[in-house]
Amino acid sequence: MPTIDPTDHEIADLGPEVNGIDDVEELEAMLALEADGEDRGPVRTLIESRIEKLRAADEEEDADPGDVDLAELTIADVANMVRDVDDAAVLRGLLEREREGKDRSGAITQIENRIEAVEGSEGGDGEVEYVPPEEKYPDLDHPTADKQYVEGTSGETYRDMWVYCETQQGELIDVSKELLGKARELMDEYNGEEGYGGDEDGTPEEVIAVVIGDDVVDLAEEAIAYGADRVVYHEDERLERFRHKPYTELFAHMCRDFDVDWRDYHEPRYTVFPATNNGRDLSALVQGELDSGLASDCSDLYIDEAMISNPAKTGIPGDSVAFDRVLHMPRPDFSGFEYSTILCIDKPHRDFHPQGASVIPGAFDLPDPDPDREGELVEHDLELPDEWFQIEIVDHDRLEGGVDLTGHDVVVALGRGIGTDPTKGIELGLELVDAFDDAAFGLSRGVITASYQFGGHVADYVSEERQIGESGQVVEPAVYIAAGISGAVQHKVGMDESDTIIAINDDPDADIRGFSDYFIEGDLFEVLPRLTAAVESGNLAAVAAEASDD
Amino acid sequence: MTDDHEHYEAVVVGAGPGGAAAAAALARQGVETLVLERGVDAGSKNVSGGLIYAEESAPYTIDSLFPDFREAASERPVDDYYIHNVSGRDVKTFDLGRIHRHDTDWCDAVLRRKMDSWLAERVHELTRETGGGLLTEVRVNGLLRENGEIVGVTCDELDPITADLIVAADGVNSELARDAGLMDWDEPDDWFQGVKAVVEMEPDAIADRFGIDDDEGAAHLFSGDLFEGVRGGGFLYTNEDSLSVGTVFHLDSLAAERAEPHELLDALLTHPLLDQWLQGEYEEREYAAKLVPDSKKVAHPSPHRGRLLLVGDAAGQMQAQGPIIKGMNHAVTAGGLAAEAYADAKTRGDPSAAGELYEAKLNEEGVMDQLRPARYRATRSVSESDLLGTIGDAVIRSPIGAAGLKAFDGAIERAFNSPFLLGMVPDTRFSYVTLPTRIGEVLGEPVTGDNDVEPPDLADRIGDLTYDVGEPHIELVDNSFEASGTAVTACPVSAVGFGGGCYREETVRTNGSEERLVSLDTQPCVECGTCAIVADTEWEHPAGGKGVEYEQG
Ligand SMILES: Cc1cc2nc3c(=O)[nH]c(=O)nc-3n(C[C@H](O)[C@H](O)[C@H](O)COP(=O)(O)OP(=O)(O)OC[C@H]3O[C@@H](n4cnc5c(N)ncnc54)[C@H](O)[C@@H]3O)c2cc1C
Ligand SMILES: Cc1cc2nc3c(=O)[nH]c(=O)nc-3n(C[C@H](O)[C@H](O)[C@H](O)COP(=O)(O)OP(=O)(O)OC[C@H]3O[C@@H](n4cnc5c(N)ncnc54)[C@H](O)[C@@H]3O)c2cc1C
Ligand code: SF4
Repeated sequence: MPTIDPTDHEIADLGPEVNGIDDVEELEAMLALEADGEDRGPVRTLIESRIEKLRAADEEEDADPGDVDLAELTIADVANMVRDVDDAAVLRGLLEREREGKDRSGAITQIENRIEAVEGSEGGDGEVEYVPPEEKYPDLDHPTADKQYVEGTSGETYRDMWVYCETQQGELIDVSKELLGKARELMDEYNGEEGYGGDEDGTPEEVIAVVIGDDVVDLAEEAIAYGADRVVYHEDERLERFRHKPYTELFAHMCRDFDVDWRDYHEPRYTVFPATNNGRDLSALVQGELDSGLASDCSDLYIDEAMISNPAKTGIPGDSVAFDRVLHMPRPDFSGFEYSTILCIDKPHRDFHPQGASVIPGAFDLPDPDPDREGELVEHDLELPDEWFQIEIVDHDRLEGGVDLTGHDVVVALGRGIGTDPTKGIELGLELVDAFDDAAFGLSRGVITASYQFGGHVADYVSEERQIGESGQVVEPAVYIAAGISGAVQHKVGMDESDTIIAINDDPDADIRGFSDYFIEGDLFEVLPRLTAAVESGNLAAVAAEASDD
Repeated sequence: MTDDHEHYEAVVVGAGPGGAAAAAALARQGVETLVLERGVDAGSKNVSGGLIYAEESAPYTIDSLFPDFREAASERPVDDYYIHNVSGRDVKTFDLGRIHRHDTDWCDAVLRRKMDSWLAERVHELTRETGGGLLTEVRVNGLLRENGEIVGVTCDELDPITADLIVAADGVNSELARDAGLMDWDEPDDWFQGVKAVVEMEPDAIADRFGIDDDEGAAHLFSGDLFEGVRGGGFLYTNEDSLSVGTVFHLDSLAAERAEPHELLDALLTHPLLDQWLQGEYEEREYAAKLVPDSKKVAHPSPHRGRLLLVGDAAGQMQAQGPIIKGMNHAVTAGGLAAEAYADAKTRGDPSAAGELYEAKLNEEGVMDQLRPARYRATRSVSESDLLGTIGDAVIRSPIGAAGLKAFDGAIERAFNSPFLLGMVPDTRFSYVTLPTRIGEVLGEPVTGDNDVEPPDLADRIGDLTYDVGEPHIELVDNSFEASGTAVTACPVSAVGFGGGCYREETVRTNGSEERLVSLDTQPCVECGTCAIVADTEWEHPAGGKGVEYEQG
């Protein structure tokens, strides 16, 4: 006898009940009861489909990949099944049967992927024969063929982690410091016992900072405090602003051709750049010039070994090969939905060094500088040819930082209460601002988004830069004067930490009353001029006393 | 050229029930499917009243595509179904159980955040197996065309994507349907506006006050004179530990009466009839609104163009069968049929035939007949004319009319329960307001309770919503009061004299002359779509992840 007699239940109740039963025999008993009773179609379907589902699940569990009927399986089932199969012969059998049967490309890909995963990849033994791309694809353009520095060679030496330190307004920007801190951490680990204990010969590798600009020697020193072992810098007044050509040429020269005794290696092992506007440009140009790859906009970095089975990289089909000292460069894909980790790995006939990344600002913590750190400053010397400076900067502008309403003694803010005469309202507000020694002028969002038309002389004051509240600025002055503002919660969060709040409103029930220290019930067009006069004569207390004290 | 773009076999835009169904059915056919959803989470943008039907005659139901749906994603099965005809304090209640159960395998109350986000997880699992997946916070902003043909979609957040099949399941405000020229935003009488409050209520209280068990649910509908003559009605559904209480009005009527949607909702919430359930307690979890298409007028008979297939609300497939609202189930069916059509077309070696096949399937499966009943089309021209309304009004108001009503008490209840008759209910004031009011008046008993709950005001309702404010997504093209003033009242988060809403009326004086203007702030916008129709705007959705985020839906 089943636990539930379906004939006692409404259909709607049975759904969850039936789907909770896992015993086929019990379900069959229920089916029989229903058949003897009302024999409702939907109930039968419900129970039958449950039985069917359980049977299917059983089959799936028992399914032997060696002889399973693929036509019965969905692609998802196939994917789940092959995941547990390690025998390539069985997988090939599956592949053949799928091809003869339903021939679903999704299923085929799943099986092929699995075969590749268990076998390394397709193909027999022996090395892949190397055919230079120019010969392999004679019909395509090969711009790299003309590049001076495309080197088919391997066996070169690479060392050190190079960090491009971008500057703005004569200062290292934060992300430059973040990168130095991270590079320090990575290389300490790399040189340590847990890591590789230094380069292939056991000599520690360094963090090299690159600073390019006009008058930057102080910044070069700062780079040491943030973690660099050595700073290569180049000063020239023509380098005051970032320009693609000279910066790229300089950077590439420093890390490839600069002939100094401390760098006897071919190129850097790693390069990192900030993923800023300029840093993104420079990173792409430099890595291209050095004939390597670039992982842009990375959000993390670590050094580790990597097992690679792609024969294009290993040269030997079928086997996985361990690559050492690989910079792992995770970066968000699809607007942060997933991450890919990018590796930049040598090929048998072509080296991919430096392994380069640009890193999103803020991805790493800003380190504390250590003024006692020691390091070496290296001035890069090179005559900079004039043709590097063919692009001339004729004008530059720094975007306004906007209006800062914080840090003042007083903030006077106006709301939609000015609606009957907006221009006059703004004038009255500005007059009150002027009456104080240190006051700022703010607005509710309601004013900024209104269709009010303002006289030219006050129109500039009405912009989002002056908005106070949730989607504007947050202020905490000693005195906040809110005239014609109702006190919506989104406005409140921008000002309710002020020491003293004075509200002027003609509606005694306005919400703002609830969080004001002084509530002046009245028309702002009358109250504001009186307040101004009182402040000018030093009599504010008198006016405040007149107001109802909430 | 196409080679420059990322390519998927199918791209589904929108992860509501229509998109979820299409994507699941496609993935099961092994079609590589990418789903793009603009919300931070599927369901974070969506609202419905909340009864999802599984129709016996439907080729696809939500639980046939997502087997554990009912246990995991819905609130309560709803079996009890009543309509209350209200005239002042007089109420006459009819049991509409028969029509509710007609062709119904089951029917559950749902909340969309929970439902859609659960569906999205399943969809992601399924589509991933095919090499696709579901991405949130991506807003599709248009169709990608090559040589005049639709080949893919463009997005705010991603590079353009090409596909062999594009399913626009992007809901009532579908930007893709408009981009393709298949739908427009012109006529208010093509749409309803739905507004709803989710109200907290402990399961024990629900059991007590509705007389139902924990695994039972109830539905109550309201019509009559509680809505200032605006054509439409109210609903109340029980969830696990809350109620969904809302209103659905014809947009043309709402606009013409210059009614405030939130006030109409409050009129329902504070009606004495609701005291038996609210009993003086009122804690609102969420206020929400969305347009609803009226399939009788806008269900597109041929909802496809090239590789683009419209599904669900995007195609106007939302059936209002008298008081019964069926949108989600049809979206599911259409999604399943769209996927099936594509698979069939592929088997025939001509994927481009998917649209034609989809249209054929909608007809063969009887979906189109439900959405655009021929009966309605036949009666509409006569019964919706004002003349008939007036005659009907006069007859029903007369003593003879009242006697008739009394004599036919039982017959009226039976008439309400007839799907055939409901299918031809004309969209007049007569059927929405006059008749139910008169029924309440003549046949009803007065309700006794006093309902003194105080629903929050608009400022608090907006304050309780979560927004991630982005760039303004609606542009007011004509800010004169004549062109756009209706939005001040019709926008569910705006009101006359309220400075904190999206639309505000302002009087501007320039050089001695006065002008009546409206201004717009999109920050409190709940993206319902109303002002796309009643005001002169350029209307788009906010970028992915931006704008309002519903927690209940
Ligand atoms: C108040 C109210 C009560 C209702 N009551 C019921 C009811 O009781 N029963 C019923 O069955 N129906 C009801 N409906 C109707 C029902 O909600 C809809 O018919 C149903 O949601 C349609 O499903 P859909 O999948 O077509 O669209 P939606 O559910 O609207 O889904 C569309 C999806 O697309 C996404 N999207 C939109 N544009 C883009 C873009 N450009 N890029 C990326 N993503 C995008 C959205 O975020 C959303 O997730 C009601 C509606 C309302 C408003
Ligand atoms: C997501 C979101 C973010 C928001 N962010 C912000 C924000 O950062 N900052 C912000 O301010 N708002 C913000 N808002 C808007 C906020 O909700 C209110 O709409 C806005 O603050 C209202 O502005 P107001 O007080 O000037 O206008 P109203 O609310 O219209 O108030 C006007 C007041 O003036 C009074 N009044 C009228 N005439 C006179 C007179 N002659 N003399 C004296 N008083 C008079 C009225 O009684 C009324 O109280 C946001 C809204 C949302 C939804
Ligand atoms: S602004 Fe328009 S879309 Fe937004 S809530 Fe109001 S009417 Fe709806």
